[in-house]
Amino acid sequence: MRENQGSVTIIEIQYWEAPTFHDENTLMKKGEIRTMENKVSYALYVLQEPVQYVCLLFMATMYSLKIYQLMKKPGPPEKAELKGDRFAGALHSLANVIRPWGMESTRNNLYFYAEFVVFHIAVFLTIGATFFIPLVPKLMTPAVSTVFMVFMGLAFLIGVRRIYRRVTVPEIRIISSPDDYFAISLMTVFFGVGFVTMYLWILGKPETGWMWVFFLMTTFFLLYVPFSKISHYVLYPFGRVMFGQIFGGRGVLNRNS
Amino acid sequence: MADVAHIKPKDQQEQGPMKLGTQEGRKWPIKPEFTPEVLEEMEKLLPSKLNRIVATSLAGCIHCGMCSDACHYTRSIPEDKTLLPAYKADRFRKWYKWRYDWLAKLFPSFVGAQPLTKELAKEMYDKLWGGCTMCRRCTFNCPMGVDYGMLVRAARGIMCQAGRIPQHLQDTIDTHYNSGNNMAVPQDEFIETIEWIEEELQSEDGCEDFTIPLDKKGAKYFLTLNPREPKYYPLTIQATAKVLNAAGVDFTISSRYWDLTNYAMFNGIDSDAKLFASWIFDEMKRLECEYLLSGECGHGYRGLRWELPNWLGGVPFKITSTMELFAKIIQEGRITLDKSVWDGQRFTYHDSCNIARSGGVWEEPRTVIRAAVNDFVEMEHNREQSFCCGGGGGALAMPEFSQRRIAAGKVKADEIRATGATVILQSCHNCTDQLKEISEHYKLGARVMNLAELLTEAIVLK
Repeated sequence: MRENQGSVTIIEIQYWEAPTFHDENTLMKKGEIRTMENKVSYALYVLQEPVQYVCLLFMATMYSLKIYQLMKKPGPPEKAELKGDRFAGALHSLANVIRPWGMESTRNNLYFYAEFVVFHIAVFLTIGATFFIPLVPKLMTPAVSTVFMVFMGLAFLIGVRRIYRRVTVPEIRIISSPDDYFAISLMTVFFGVGFVTMYLWILGKPETGWMWVFFLMTTFFLLYVPFSKISHYVLYPFGRVMFGQIFGGRGVLNRNS
Repeated sequence: MADVAHIKPKDQQEQGPMKLGTQEGRKWPIKPEFTPEVLEEMEKLLPSKLNRIVATSLAGCIHCGMCSDACHYTRSIPEDKTLLPAYKADRFRKWYKWRYDWLAKLFPSFVGAQPLTKELAKEMYDKLWGGCTMCRRCTFNCPMGVDYGMLVRAARGIMCQAGRIPQHLQDTIDTHYNSGNNMAVPQDEFIETIEWIEEELQSEDGCEDFTIPLDKKGAKYFLTLNPREPKYYPLTIQATAKVLNAAGVDFTISSRYWDLTNYAMFNGIDSDAKLFASWIFDEMKRLECEYLLSGECGHGYRGLRWELPNWLGGVPFKITSTMELFAKIIQEGRITLDKSVWDGQRFTYHDSCNIARSGGVWEEPRTVIRAAVNDFVEMEHNREQSFCCGGGGGALAMPEFSQRRIAAGKVKADEIRATGATVILQSCHNCTDQLKEISEHYKLGARVMNLAELLTEAIVLK
């Protein structure tokens, strides 16, 4: 039963009947009202939790292997007398992502940078949703879910624009491989599906076809991402830290810090 | 005139000019094309070049295209999209993916992987020798921190070791290897040149007591030179010596190994780079100097200041440059300058990529310039954001790519023109030659000068 209390939509959920994946303390008592609940079939529960855990483990294993292979290689030596701080340089370089004025390429493309920020916030929120929905559904109140939904919707539009850019800008087109198109298309569809899924969730529909697609895509992501360019976030800290260490040590970066 | 006889190394006094360079002559076995044998050799070499930076840079590109406006090639030649840094690096990356990318084992085309074919290798040759100066401006504009400079150097090293390198560039390195300096200046000729320059210096008013000490043990600074100076630009040595003498700097030059250049930075052969660095290291030890002093040379400065300690595992002495020493001298009030001698001239300063972006030296030259001139105008992009002039990365030693090199200098030429400068200052010999060429080609009407030449005219001798 749904009822409105002021501006907040409250969903009353009945006693959980399916084999529960929560502990005793989280079981609802009769008549208890919670803001949101993930009342789903056993099949969807399996997809949302055990399957995801196995896939997450696989992803973590692949990433560990990737990082191990990278760390096995000799790192950049620095035996010269330093003019700056390598550690501060690394931090400065890592923080590059929140300093659009730090690089000419972002300074001159603030709209592109804003897209990047929204897109990646949406990535975090969407990944977050795949955890929050099954594990802490009460966090996903309509207000919170609306924020998630808005970011997913914006990211969907940004994704469409990025696909268009990749197809139409000659210098981007000639460096694009099928993986580049597939990755951005996949993310865009994921955001689109996530947007609809969140909308239905807010309406109090935790198990819909859209939710199934959303979690099936999540499963695919966990298996596919370690092999695709989407895993760039694993390499990001390596690239930025090494850049920061080299040029921080040489006194090129963060001179005034 | 300095009494050179008594300062010549002992072995030289007894045996005449010593054989510099390595004992055996070497001619690098350059192959005319990418034969199956060359490709096979490259396949063998690839793993040895994949250190953590190179591997991360090869795997880390997300093809976002943010590097497109950062490169002087793409800015100057916008019609050629294949000059985009990511595209150029992809010529190497495709091969790397073919060998190492997990998904490429199943779906190579899907991730853009390609086996190393003759065609791919030819593209790699064209783009990574003739389409990149390793200036790292794209690196500074890459969200992922992809180090294009190191990536390109690794690719060049593989090609070179397998026998594919522009002939003239490798000749320069072979000359250094065989002669001890990259212009094959014999020791006796070098000593004579320094003597002659010293005489010229002493003939200037107020410079009668100035000297250019050769092989002076225990001097504070060991001044190293670019071979272009004794060969073609002796006045820059004279100018440097005048400033150092006027400031009372205790310095010396080695009669044996004085070449600060290290073109092995450009061909990616570390063993040669280490060898050239070790000669300078040995001279520092022999002369027992406190500071190794790099003359005005871009890659030479970076090679000595930042790479030499890494190649040799650390050094027990300090390393600095004339740019930094000139600034120190001025800040300490050790020389007096008359700015009015340059009145009527407008100056701008071109930051060499290896000195500024890869070396961290950009305020010191400005300290020098502001002390010596009244009219100084910055280019739109300056300091670590300066565009490469187009002459870096050994580009001047690759005549087969000269046309593209001059074309790539357009963005720099446009920025110089916008300043209205009549004099382009810089601190690098490769930049000197490139800037002279683009000044003439793009009709800038500006002369090119280094900092020592700037100071020598403005110095007021007491």
